Amino acid sequence: MGRSHRVLKVVGWLALVVFALIYLFPLYWLLNTSVKGRAELFASTPTLVAKHPTLEPYVTVLFDRGYVRLLRNSLVVCSLTVLLTLVIGMAITYPLTRLPVSRRLRVGVLNWALSLRFLPPIAVVVPYFLIVRTIGLYNNPLALVFVYTLFNLPFGIWMLKGFMTEIPQEVEEAAYVDGATRAAAFRRVLLPLMAPGLLASAVIIFAFCWSEFLFALILTSTRDAQTFPVGVQGLVTQFEIIWNEMAAAGVIAIAVPLVLMLAARRHVLAGLTFGVIREK
Amino acid sequence: MRHATKLMAMSAVLMVVMAGCGGGGGGDTDRLVIAAVQGNESEGIKALADDYEQETGVSLQIEELPYPQLYEKLVTTFQANDASYDLVMLDDPWMPKFGTEGWLQPLDSTYGFERDPDIAGVIYDVGTWPPPRGAVPPSEQGKEAHLLGITVVGNVEMFMYRTDLMDRPATWDDVLAAAKANDKGDVSGYAIRGLATNPVVADFLPILWSFGGDVFDENWDVVFDSKESLAAVEFLVNDLKAVAEASPETVDAADRSRLMAIGETAQSTVWPGEINSIVLGEGTTVDGKVSFIPMPAGPSGQGFGMMGNWLLAIPTAAENGEAAADFIRWMTEEDTQRLYAENGGIPSRTSVLNDAGLNEANPYFSALAESLAATPNWRPRTDQWNAVETVLGTNLNAALAGQMTAQEAVTAASSEIHDIMEQAGYYA
Amino acid sequence: MSEPVPAAASLAPTARRWTLGHTPQERLAYKLLLPVLGIVFVIVLLPFLVALISSLREGGDGAFVGGQNYARALRNPLLYDALKATGLYALIVLPTEILLGTGLALLVNRVVRSPNLRALIFVFAIIPIVIPPVGVGVIARLIYAPDYGALNYLLQLGGLIQQEIPWLSRPMTAMLAVASVDIWQWTPFVYLVMFAGLQTVPRESLEAAQVDGATWWQQFVQIELFYLRPLLLLVLFLRLADVLRAFDAIFVLTGGGPGTATQLLSLYLYRVGFKFFNSGEAAALAIMVLVGMSLLYSGVARLLPVERD
Repeated sequence: MGRSHRVLKVVGWLALVVFALIYLFPLYWLLNTSVKGRAELFASTPTLVAKHPTLEPYVTVLFDRGYVRLLRNSLVVCSLTVLLTLVIGMAITYPLTRLPVSRRLRVGVLNWALSLRFLPPIAVVVPYFLIVRTIGLYNNPLALVFVYTLFNLPFGIWMLKGFMTEIPQEVEEAAYVDGATRAAAFRRVLLPLMAPGLLASAVIIFAFCWSEFLFALILTSTRDAQTFPVGVQGLVTQFEIIWNEMAAAGVIAIAVPLVLMLAARRHVLAGLTFGVIREK
Repeated sequence: MRHATKLMAMSAVLMVVMAGCGGGGGGDTDRLVIAAVQGNESEGIKALADDYEQETGVSLQIEELPYPQLYEKLVTTFQANDASYDLVMLDDPWMPKFGTEGWLQPLDSTYGFERDPDIAGVIYDVGTWPPPRGAVPPSEQGKEAHLLGITVVGNVEMFMYRTDLMDRPATWDDVLAAAKANDKGDVSGYAIRGLATNPVVADFLPILWSFGGDVFDENWDVVFDSKESLAAVEFLVNDLKAVAEASPETVDAADRSRLMAIGETAQSTVWPGEINSIVLGEGTTVDGKVSFIPMPAGPSGQGFGMMGNWLLAIPTAAENGEAAADFIRWMTEEDTQRLYAENGGIPSRTSVLNDAGLNEANPYFSALAESLAATPNWRPRTDQWNAVETVLGTNLNAALAGQMTAQEAVTAASSEIHDIMEQAGYYA
Repeated sequence: MSEPVPAAASLAPTARRWTLGHTPQERLAYKLLLPVLGIVFVIVLLPFLVALISSLREGGDGAFVGGQNYARALRNPLLYDALKATGLYALIVLPTEILLGTGLALLVNRVVRSPNLRALIFVFAIIPIVIPPVGVGVIARLIYAPDYGALNYLLQLGGLIQQEIPWLSRPMTAMLAVASVDIWQWTPFVYLVMFAGLQTVPRESLEAAQVDGATWWQQFVQIELFYLRPLLLLVLFLRLADVLRAFDAIFVLTGGGPGTATQLLSLYLYRVGFKFFNSGEAAALAIMVLVGMSLLYSGVARLLPVERD
């Protein structure tokens, strides 16, 4: 029993090391490529370690190509989306969890939210493009904000519901006993308790929003409204040899949601599994 | 409730501000938004942006997009009747679609452009819709011809070869012979640009024509499955492939030019834009060892250069028409063309191309002038070209990858193209 | 909102049938909910209506031609190629992710005892999941591309291959490459869910089984699997939903190629709508996809172990 246990341990650790490499190497490769100079890219074979690492690709991407503007657009669009999503999300979740709403309605809304997970965005892009075109919001960041809010609402509802149901109603009821109105109880009791939940949701929605690509690609045409992922994809062209810039843009695109999600990592899993896996 | 209302008021204000920020280019006369293709073709314009701003006070916002996306984005934007772009760069094969749909403003009638004798006639021809010669789509016949675009990158596809490895090839048979002789070690005899759709089609059409084949005839009937066309395809996927680099079906223009630059191939076709930026650019090992000539001849007896001009045009929906027209005029002035050439641009003025001084830095200029004067071929002038090119390109690419034989590729492509043209009403 | 609030006792939601506005709380609830839900509902319904109308018109905005766009869409053999490609993709990706993720969870659960190391693995596992799909596409491009791709270089370095493998230009290898991207990105997700599930297995049961001499396989099948089953269903459906919608990373890596080998359903829709600009046909396809997905969802929804109450 002991020997097979030890064999299992050795094999197990070996497997873990292999997996660690499989996950770390591509990330390393991305970073490595992003600091290579142009001359090095012309070589016959790629190099495992950049010979003369330089930050020039980053500078070129951000400033020469003007991608700073795209970063700004992403920031603005994502912030507004978070705001809108949370406000509407709360407006839906509060009655659903704190007020006597018919069970059918509650289940119905939650079901609808869950079902949107099965919706391929491309199927919505086609009509959405027609709508945006008609109302003149083409190449306008607002169009993105509205779409992103729509797609993040289900997630927001589930996250907020999860947090709200964890806060016992007794806390608010205590405030009622003290004579507070529902509005005051909401503002002074519930909201502060929801703050960590709201923050976690905000962070995750921001990260999702940041990563969105398809709608931004189709609904915008100039850097006035384009978001960063569109810029990243624009560099992935085989016509030019700019893989270092492509990698640099990739690094920037990854860094933002990565930092955010790592900060909120305790809630990420709950969010992704509709509350089934809750943090302990 | 006050918090909520404050929040909502803030977002409302933000949204109004954002609505104002969206969609640039409209009615803004000190800024011109240009939709350009990402790559060496835009280098020239980018280099001149500062000069233009100093001269006129108008700044240029150049939006670069990769080739396939530029087309998709332009069509999407035009369909949305959006004023985001004041000027657009278009590849000449896109002119039929844009011209047929009426998406571009006429430069001659609205802005008074006239033909300049110092610029080759074919340059004006390629920017005119309906085209002054060759097959005209049935729906466009009888329409009044207008100049819709002016060439800003005078591209004509040429041929390049290593002077230290071989003699100047006069025919494609010479090319094949020299390729076989040089195909050893790291060096491939010929570099095929075989990536799917536009790249492989652009590379292959001159070969197709020099063998006497074509995609359409004068009445838009598909002749891609003719004897001559098949011979050309077989030449590409059997003969040339045998002496080409590995996996030609993944190779695009920059890749094959890079191969030439590091000395790993003996011959290839080439677009002028790649010459100074890649073939003779930073990191090259073949400086002084490469020569650029017009296309070799084929069994038909003729060699056919192919145009790939990039044109500047003004979208119908654009609001800064006058400012945009001024910019186009400025681009074609002789001084600008000189400055443009010095900064890596490809001029279209014959006098500038034949200038001795510029030919020292750009040895291919006179060959280019020669090609332009010989009236090169252009791609079929149909508004369905994007779909046709995709079909041609996908099948040629599959044949190059060894997934189908030349005959299968030719048959499949021909029938699919026939369907496309039929559905588009060409055979009424 | 200054309604008199009733005493605490009557705040508990009563189990009554759907009556509208009998208590002030109910009225408030509906006053808040219905306008908001109404607006959201309209905004969600609008694209569907627009797509429906567009799908019935010639070229999306011409004369009404009934089912012509649908017939044309269904006649196109590329649609079935796309469905087949999507099916193949799902068949490769789903079992691999679930088996690998579960296996990893079991492995770490048994072999790694230190809580600090477990926490570290948790952080590492989160990283691939939160990378934007576009970013993963770029990484994959840098690995699989000819000439500058890391994979060929490493394989040649290790003496495993002589010539470069053109990963992205052969249909089967391209499909594998594209599938590997999804597997790389989402196996950690399966791992995290399964690992969390394994923590809910009561220690006493496991210890009792070990005392009885059960092998790890027997422990797994007889005890742990029971606790993992609902989670297996959950990840299966979540991953299925994502796999059917896959677009971003594939778009960046192969654009649907070579030929149409990796042109999954979403990419095919993109091609019809935004490469060939057949608005009518694209709308018809969109409607069919929407209906199909709704049917699929209603079929599997009951099995999802998610609280909807």
